[in-house]
Amino acid sequence: MKKKVLSLLLSTAMVASLAACGSTDAGTTTTTTTGDNTTTETQTSDSTTATSTTDTAAAEDYVLETLNIVVDGTVTATVESGQAEFVQQWEEAVSEKLGHPIKLNINQLDHSDYSGTVSRLLTTGQPGDEGYPDALIMSATMLRQYQTTGLLWNMADAYENAEFQSRVTLPSVNENMKTSDGALYGFAPTYGNGCVTYVKQSWLDAVGMKAEDIKTFDDYYAMLKAFTENDPDGNGSAGTYGVIAAGYGKLDEAPYINYMPEFWQGAYPSFYQKDGVWVDGFTEQATIDALARLAQGYADGVIDPDTEDAGTKQAREKFFSNDQSTSEGVFTYWAGTWLRTLTTNMEKQEVDNDLGDDRLVQLAPIQEIKDTWGGYLNREAPVWVITDDQDGNDSREQAIFDALLETMLDGDRVQTLWTYGAEDVHWSTKAESFKTNEGTENEKSYEYADGEFHLKQSPNDPNSLWKKNHLDAVLVIAPLTNGFVDNDELVAEGNKFFTENCVDAPAAASCETLTEVEAELVEVKTTLMKQAVAGEITPEEAVAQYVEAYGDVSEQIVSELNAQ
Amino acid sequence: MSKNQNVATTSTGAPINKKPLGTRIWNNRGYYLMFLPVLVFVIIIYYWPMLGVRYAFYEYKLRNITWVGLKNFETMFAKKEFWTAFSNTLQISITKLIITTLTSVLVSVFLNEMHNMFAKKSLQTIIYLPHFMSWAVVAAIFQLFLSKSSTGFVNETLKSWGILSQSIDFLHTQSMWRPIFYLINIWKETGWGTVIFLATLSGINPELYEAADIDGASRLQKIWYVTVPALMNTVIIVLILNLAKVLNLFESVFVLYNNRVFDVSDVISTYIYRQTFLTAIPDYGYTTAVGLFKSIVGCVLVLVCNYASKKVRGRGII
Repeated sequence: MKKKVLSLLLSTAMVASLAACGSTDAGTTTTTTTGDNTTTETQTSDSTTATSTTDTAAAEDYVLETLNIVVDGTVTATVESGQAEFVQQWEEAVSEKLGHPIKLNINQLDHSDYSGTVSRLLTTGQPGDEGYPDALIMSATMLRQYQTTGLLWNMADAYENAEFQSRVTLPSVNENMKTSDGALYGFAPTYGNGCVTYVKQSWLDAVGMKAEDIKTFDDYYAMLKAFTENDPDGNGSAGTYGVIAAGYGKLDEAPYINYMPEFWQGAYPSFYQKDGVWVDGFTEQATIDALARLAQGYADGVIDPDTEDAGTKQAREKFFSNDQSTSEGVFTYWAGTWLRTLTTNMEKQEVDNDLGDDRLVQLAPIQEIKDTWGGYLNREAPVWVITDDQDGNDSREQAIFDALLETMLDGDRVQTLWTYGAEDVHWSTKAESFKTNEGTENEKSYEYADGEFHLKQSPNDPNSLWKKNHLDAVLVIAPLTNGFVDNDELVAEGNKFFTENCVDAPAAASCETLTEVEAELVEVKTTLMKQAVAGEITPEEAVAQYVEAYGDVSEQIVSELNAQ
Repeated sequence: MSKNQNVATTSTGAPINKKPLGTRIWNNRGYYLMFLPVLVFVIIIYYWPMLGVRYAFYEYKLRNITWVGLKNFETMFAKKEFWTAFSNTLQISITKLIITTLTSVLVSVFLNEMHNMFAKKSLQTIIYLPHFMSWAVVAAIFQLFLSKSSTGFVNETLKSWGILSQSIDFLHTQSMWRPIFYLINIWKETGWGTVIFLATLSGINPELYEAADIDGASRLQKIWYVTVPALMNTVIIVLILNLAKVLNLFESVFVLYNNRVFDVSDVISTYIYRQTFLTAIPDYGYTTAVGLFKSIVGCVLVLVCNYASKKVRGRGII
């Protein structure tokens, strides 16, 4: 009898636990107020979909109670860096604007596997499911891939009628994102930004060169050789390199060539529009020439071999490493805020501390870049997209737009949150004084008067100042109206330099065949590029092998693109 | 008497009840009730997910699922990359299995011959340690160690000794990748592999060695004529047991391979990984088909090994 009772108890416990496992029914509750003032509550779960809206419901009547967003690493107010306070202040500010409470759930994915994780999220869920994003960030390339899938909402009307329209200073950013039939599936709150080439001033001094004299590829290459061979770190032995980058070319992310623009020059190893006609840039002579330059750089040892496999983090850390004996003199990376970040990191690593904020010099585009593209490439902006529940009613999507994107550019409180982070956590207007690197030779004092806008110490690193949150105040398409400006001269200088020396990158290509085979093409092109740079095959052979294996597919893609 | 001999019995010798199934279940309902949670658990955790193999017959992109029959398999068999991965999997796995087993045997024998217990235990501990390091850490260490860059210890040391004039790109050169991979595997897994062989060696009857001594056998002769034959049965068993798992090769390759050595390093699991996780909008149907094929081949290998096991040691592995 005891055995039976025990077995019964065990069975009950197990069944209960399994039932509990299966019942992840913590879905969002949405309340929909219909036109006739009746209210319907729908509890959504894994197996149910929020379909309580009716055709008669007006967009403004939809009450969005929970907003689930998926973001990448560009939201710098991470969980460790005051995200909770950001969310709390956002909820307060937006609830006040909307006139009803709203809860914000942020799902911040690993930046390096962002597109893959997004793909899995969108595959395995549907609007209303817990974890399924109402809105998310996408790169321009991702947007092109997804905008034809039906998963994204066409926000063209919402964008046209948005309140921030009257303050938009760069309307072309989003106008250029519209499809040929006028649909807008992604909204870019900023323009794209791009990379500029940074050179260590101390190394230039050591080899007796000046940045303003580097005007052509020959000058640039001579500088790299000097950095490799002339002991710029002054330790009396070899080991230094001219340049490092996160890959010779990042062929899976437009604009592909921006980490080594001097070597790629006018080449563009992907599909792009040339004089109004789509072409496959990987098959062009310019790509062969670029690969030959890279191969020469590799053979001469001016390119750090770690470039082949390095991610951006590894490349950055090697560039500003405390051990400069195996470092590099040149690093092409993001403009503006990153000039400050790289300089601060060099300071932390005690590299060239005597030079202060003049450690790095920004190299103007060499003549070959000016002659081809016209300047450094300003990538297509990352965008926010809203998922479409495909119920034929835009009320949910419009409510998401109003809560997230409309407020994101309100010019005031919410935009400040997205630009600088949470008040009194990331920034403040209260009188205060503090020190960074206290007690060290790098100690720096900060003092602010009451009412003076200023950035505070980073929540996760009190020895450095907070820089920004998701939006870059300089890049945003509708500026803040509350006068809050970060006065970091280095950031301003970096942004000014890039703006003066950039051109828009080619628009990303998108067609059915390309979406199907893009990963395969990227893999084979990356392999051939690496083999050509390492000298295992010639650049001509690399392109010939590509054409032989994928020539038909390439032609098909070009044909589809030109037919659009 | 003869009637008693025909009574069917369980493995413990108890006579099997001939009552109807329903009655037997009812009579043993307590046991069945106890077994029920386990059954439910196994079904939900192990068998329910297997229903996903049906997607091998669908095109499955984002939320669009379309029946395509055997098209995914046709696509798979038509792809050069798949066959390269399949061939590499078998070559790398089997070679690795043979090499690591042999080195484990060799090291076990050497350890067995050591009489200084402190040295023996110390050495055992040292060679066991790498087994407990994750493959990600091992890869990071060896990538740094073998780097072509000026941070690469091996290249810089060989150059400073005048042995090399140019750095060697060990992990990016097709002809060198597999030997390096096997060496890293030997470094990491040999120690752990010796455990089972040392256990066998400790079970060898000392009288055999005493007899060999009386016969005037040298140390090498004792190893060759006593130790090695005693180990052979275990070696064969280890080989058979591991042969069933040869297709499960992923992590060690994934952390060490790169584009330039795909032709000699890409295995089925890494191929599936790239197709699934590094593709913007993957076709889960296709990758499920590749996974299903791998499972079928793995299943066949298990059955073959089971048959071989029965032949060699009189009982199967499943």
